[in-house]
Amino acid sequence: MKKVFFIGLISLVFVFGFTTIQTDVVIDKKALTSSCKKKLDPFQYDSQKFTKIISTKKNQQLEVEVPVFIGEKYRVVFNTSQMNKPINIKIYTKDKESNKREPIFTNKDFNKNETEFIFDAPRVRKMFIDYEVPKDSANQALNGVVVFMIGYK
Amino acid sequence: MFSKKKSFVLKGSMLCVAAVLLTACGGEAPKEDTTAAPVADTSAAASNDTEQQSYSLPSPLQIASIFKKSGLKYKDGVTSPMKDPAKYTASLNQALNLGVYSADLSYTVLNKQNQESMAYMKLSRQLADKLGMSAVFDEGNLATRFEKNLGNEDSLAYIIAELQMLTDMYLDENNQQQITSIVFAGAWIESMYIGSKVFDGGKKSGLNNKLAEQLNILGSILKSLNAQLKKDPAIAGLTADLQTIKNIYDELPSVKNNPGAADDSEKELSLTNEEVVTLSKKIEEVRTKFIKG
Repeated sequence: MKKVFFIGLISLVFVFGFTTIQTDVVIDKKALTSSCKKKLDPFQYDSQKFTKIISTKKNQQLEVEVPVFIGEKYRVVFNTSQMNKPINIKIYTKDKESNKREPIFTNKDFNKNETEFIFDAPRVRKMFIDYEVPKDSANQALNGVVVFMIGYK
Repeated sequence: MFSKKKSFVLKGSMLCVAAVLLTACGGEAPKEDTTAAPVADTSAAASNDTEQQSYSLPSPLQIASIFKKSGLKYKDGVTSPMKDPAKYTASLNQALNLGVYSADLSYTVLNKQNQESMAYMKLSRQLADKLGMSAVFDEGNLATRFEKNLGNEDSLAYIIAELQMLTDMYLDENNQQQITSIVFAGAWIESMYIGSKVFDGGKKSGLNNKLAEQLNILGSILKSLNAQLKKDPAIAGLTADLQTIKNIYDELPSVKNNPGAADDSEKELSLTNEEVVTLSKKIEEVRTKFIKG
């Protein structure tokens, strides 16, 4: 009987362990950073931003404001390899509240299997990076992390 | 009898496992309810860790590099006094002055001031240790590489950029993005102080324009800090100090009479000498407060 209890206990530990691994996906941020850094070359590293994507029952538009300086040359590198499904990325000249904003980049025309995108920015004062997260209440297959790195020269 | 009992226990164990599995499988549904947030909601807390609006600020090295390209020369004695980092006890002051030292480090490196660079590197390391960020400096043997490359401006700049990258990654992994914003606020005020001191009465018009450009990002710094208020309420005092500079800047005739210039990438912002002097006084006042701790 002790043996059966022991087996039951082991099963519980396994199930709990398995559940934890399933819900708390470990992201190798170092590998993501290293990959972006390679694509950034020959631009000098300036900053990077990881954005956690948690899909919900409603569409979301997550925005990152990036101030830049006139006269400098910038490169932006995105990595979406830690997303289970492709995600739309757009860069605008103004924030999402403005009706005068213009898109300067979109990853829509890239191959759907691509997970790295490189963009050399035109002359702007600010960039607004938008991640369009469609609603996904059924299986949260869109959860993950997107990173971008920006460099200058 | 024994067999029946064994079977009962086995079934019981299986039921427990099934119950846990069911709980695990069904666990996602209530989570969705808590993460549901309206599209226009800008509160990070409202969507359970998802930041609807966030900010990515430049590095102190880039600001120093822009100033250098605009003709900013090295001037002795303008960088911050090399205080014992132990004097900064509150974490906000430690982070703020880590930013100040980062700006001084970038300025001295780009102007080939080896001894000063080494001293600011050591001070930065000490403050990073206090903030629990020793791992950043230990990774890739940055301090040793820095010392070995003294005199080689390009290599040192590369090492500082690498240090910035490791710091950004470390703070993100440890969910301490508020420190990123505070450090940059310290770096920005120090860079502006150095820029305005070396500006020297408007003799360099290119530098005047670059100072105006830098002031244009103050709004993003303030928004970035305000977004982190929940993590560290002490940030409120810091934003109040920076807001006083923004209030003066917004009221300057060159800015007020040219409302679209701040957003128009085709226009170059420019301030008069008197306006730079007015701003410089305020910047100096706030910077003195920051480095005092």
